[in-house]
Amino acid sequence: MAITFKELSYTYQANTPFEYQALTDINLTIPDNSYTAIIGHTGSGKSTLLQHLNGLLRPTSGSLEVNGQLITPQTKPKQLGDLRKEVGFVFQFPEAQLFEETVLKDIAFGPKNFGKSEAEALEIAKQKAKLVKLPEELWEKSPFELSGGQMRRVAIAGILAMAPKTLILDEPTAGLDPKGRLEMMEMFYKLHQAEGLDIILVTHNMNDVANYADNVVVLEGGQLLKTGKPAEIFASPEWLLAHHLGLPKTTAFAQELKQRGIKLPSLPLKEADLAKQLATMIGGIGNE
Amino acid sequence: MTAIIEVKNLTYRYDEQDKVPALNNINLTIEAGQWVAIIGHNGSGKSTLAKALDGLIEPEAGSIKVAGIELTSQTVWEVRNHIGMVFQNPDNQFVGADVEGDVAFGMENRGIARPEMVKRVKAALKAVNMSAYAKHEPVRLSGGQKQRVAIAGVLALRPDIIIFDESTSMLDPEGRQDIIKLMKRLNEKEGFTVISITHDIDEASLAQRVIVLDDGEIIADQKPAALFTKGQELIDIGLDVPYPERLKHELAKQGITVPKKYLSEEEMVEWLWQLLSKN
Repeated sequence: MAITFKELSYTYQANTPFEYQALTDINLTIPDNSYTAIIGHTGSGKSTLLQHLNGLLRPTSGSLEVNGQLITPQTKPKQLGDLRKEVGFVFQFPEAQLFEETVLKDIAFGPKNFGKSEAEALEIAKQKAKLVKLPEELWEKSPFELSGGQMRRVAIAGILAMAPKTLILDEPTAGLDPKGRLEMMEMFYKLHQAEGLDIILVTHNMNDVANYADNVVVLEGGQLLKTGKPAEIFASPEWLLAHHLGLPKTTAFAQELKQRGIKLPSLPLKEADLAKQLATMIGGIGNE
Repeated sequence: MTAIIEVKNLTYRYDEQDKVPALNNINLTIEAGQWVAIIGHNGSGKSTLAKALDGLIEPEAGSIKVAGIELTSQTVWEVRNHIGMVFQNPDNQFVGADVEGDVAFGMENRGIARPEMVKRVKAALKAVNMSAYAKHEPVRLSGGQKQRVAIAGVLALRPDIIIFDESTSMLDPEGRQDIIKLMKRLNEKEGFTVISITHDIDEASLAQRVIVLDDGEIIADQKPAALFTKGQELIDIGLDVPYPERLKHELAKQGITVPKKYLSEEEMVEWLWQLLSKN
């Protein structure tokens, strides 16, 4: 689902003494079928940008087009109903939004609300529960009896049940342990690969950007700073550090090697890349 | 060295019906001035242990001594004077209208006289390098700055022990580095006993000692270097290993013979440099 921002600006509390311009003149295309990471530190405008995508905010000036639907400052909130189905939003700590008696009922709530019958909604709920790998013995339990990671899966299944075309993930693994994190990130990647969902990921974790994204958007102070493939964005570590952004662990380690005088053929983003390059360099010297 | 925390046979269940206790016969001694990291998967009992130390939950069995004081319902406030806690989300910890007011809040609660308060707020903000922000609104600060203000609020109460409960997990990379550096300084230069509960293995690797909890039990209590050589075992119980260990694992897959002993990042760079300079 292609998304295009045209000269979009957004001002909070316009025409009051508290006026605050959060986005300035954003021109940006998020291509169809992409896994896009949005990076930038606190206050860079990430959340404001995302809230335009499902109609929570409308531009103060300029426009955006989401899946063929044009949104301008004149667009009425009523006209944005379809958008809410097409764009699924996973907020931080989504488990805080659970409320139903059982896991399946909670997942079925969205489709029921959008007009499916009880039976249809439960059928969808079962599919989505399987998709996020919630074991069947949990389906009739109260979502509040589950572990943090499982609760989060229930909340995500509830969003998938509305059959969105794009999934927006705002720091989706905050608070999970390393194994839970990895499982969740792999699940999103599979949804992208196998189910064809577009993903927009907001994260501070540059390893996730390097491992999963194919497109990166960098925001700073409400302005678009750069877009490109991860390899392009991470190609100049100095630039990233100057903008207070981190590096993937592997890229940072490659920098340390460079400072020690070890020249790598290219700048690696993932540990497997780095290991391959090093192995080739070590190769000829009789590694006993 | 004197023990500042002594935990003996500590057991706790959230619900009497629970078959597996949240803490299962924990025995633990922490020396004054140590930096101890506690790691373990979600639900392993890390935060429960921190709550028990601060007297926020009452154990089913066992005893806790903090700075020589046996923790009971009578001594709980005295014990809390020795412990400062910094939590995960700085936004949930703010009460003051400005940074100064926020740092002073805990002292107001304890009836500390105003001139003394003013002195301590100044010193605490200086210690976390936030003096320039005394009059700022906390909401406008970055995540790392907010967490530094929360730490100043703790320092102003003059504890001996600071418990960081996943305090870096919601920060951006810069904020995280910032807080880790501050933890290091508070421990090394200011002599605080630091307990950091964390999923961040790089943070844990800086501690003098790492305690691994799994299903309410201590399954390892070692120096980081000794612990991190157990790579796959750690991954199996839901944890991570430091970056050099992961890279070694990838190199081994490429057929390179790697040293068994744990290498820090600098040591890993050095090892690679020596290996390559033979060329």
